[in-house]
Amino acid sequence: MSAEEKALVDRCRQGEDDAWRTLVDQFGQKVYSVAYHFTLNRDDAEELSQEIFLKTFENLHRYDGSFPLVAWLLSLSRNLCIDRYRRRKREKSFRFVSDDAVAPLLKSDDDPAAEALRKERSKILFSVLAEIPEDLAEILVLRDLDGLAYDEIGKALDLPDGTVKSRLFRARAEVARRIRERHERRGTAGAFQTLAVAAGGVL
Amino acid sequence: MSCPDLEKLFLAGASREDARRHRDSCATCRAAGPDADAVEDIASTLKAPEMPPSLHAALIDIPRRTVSCEGAERLLPLAVENELLPDDERRLSSHLSRCGGCSEAAATLLGTRDLAEPIAPPWLAGRLAVARPAKRRRSLSWIFGPKSVIAFAYGAAVVVMLLGFNPADLARKVGVGELGQSTRAAVLVAESSVTDRLGALQERVARTLAVWKGRAGGYGRAVVSNAVSIIWKNSPKQRTVERPRNRDGRGAFKESETTTTSWRT
Repeated sequence: MSAEEKALVDRCRQGEDDAWRTLVDQFGQKVYSVAYHFTLNRDDAEELSQEIFLKTFENLHRYDGSFPLVAWLLSLSRNLCIDRYRRRKREKSFRFVSDDAVAPLLKSDDDPAAEALRKERSKILFSVLAEIPEDLAEILVLRDLDGLAYDEIGKALDLPDGTVKSRLFRARAEVARRIRERHERRGTAGAFQTLAVAAGGVL
Repeated sequence: MSCPDLEKLFLAGASREDARRHRDSCATCRAAGPDADAVEDIASTLKAPEMPPSLHAALIDIPRRTVSCEGAERLLPLAVENELLPDDERRLSSHLSRCGGCSEAAATLLGTRDLAEPIAPPWLAGRLAVARPAKRRRSLSWIFGPKSVIAFAYGAAVVVMLLGFNPADLARKVGVGELGQSTRAAVLVAESSVTDRLGALQERVARTLAVWKGRAGGYGRAVVSNAVSIIWKNSPKQRTVERPRNRDGRGAFKESETTTTSWRT
């Protein structure tokens, strides 16, 4: 796989427009998804995606094919994502996720009640993500929201697989604990269980 | 608080069924309430946000908006020569605004054009004039030197006169008035050369004189110093005043020293 990706990158370096188009088609959606999860804003996600691809294009000669291209893309853009994430974290609106911010992430459902539940759960999840440390949040985003494999996350963040798994476990536990505490403070102790059951989760 | 046993299971790659069995039998996990799988479940219900078509078009267009670092290396030499096409100039400019390394390289390369030309020192003309004869000796260019031209001219005049012609009339008839001009030019060049040589010689003499002036000052000071020390050594030593001795051989006061003056009140 990496050999094919290396060949694709080499063709891009030689100035083949078709090769670059193929690269954008293959990874554009994934990069935009990661950018959106870090920014929760369409305009910011578009801007961040463009920066990531600009940086990718300018550094194509550095790719040696030793690991997956998507991991290399993310390793190049990690600082950009973290910068945006920190910038967003400083904003007041960060912890109060709006309906518009999560709307592009929701699947349409015939049942309005179930859709409302999913929206509520998504807003809680993203607002809690803002509260946990960055190194835990980024792994949870890359694994649970963007579906990257452990080795891809490890290559992107320059971490061993064991560390990735360990951080992911701690991130999930921390998010679960904070969600529970939040509902207990509001006097809605059973709300999370209700939401999770509605989602088909294991409780 | 997370359960360490559950974390070990997770790191070992246990299935969700194994994790669930552990939770059913573990007091810590039951007390913790909702488990970490719930977060994964929530995330799994979300979909990826769709990339806007305008963004896709903008990403495809990137190679026409900028260049890579490799491309910048190819374009920079052309930029130094001001031979960039407008499109390439725009792409290079876009890249340089984003890439610190290439921007530094470009600033260094393009900065060479703004360097001032070094000013020749005033003594250089004299040095060059001195160096010129050495080059002539190594080649045959001495044939075309001012002296040779003058010698040839005189030689030719003598030959013409021996053949019974007036060289001035012959020159006018043949129309070689330039001969006189070239001769005058050769004389001017020779004068210039002599002037340059004299300048160089004057400079060398002045420098040598300055050196000898310094040395003379040093020698003069040394001579004066030596003379003073010799005179000082040969001057008569002062004799100490001997005091009168008593019979024990110890010092005794003079009479004037023992005389006391009484004062009447």
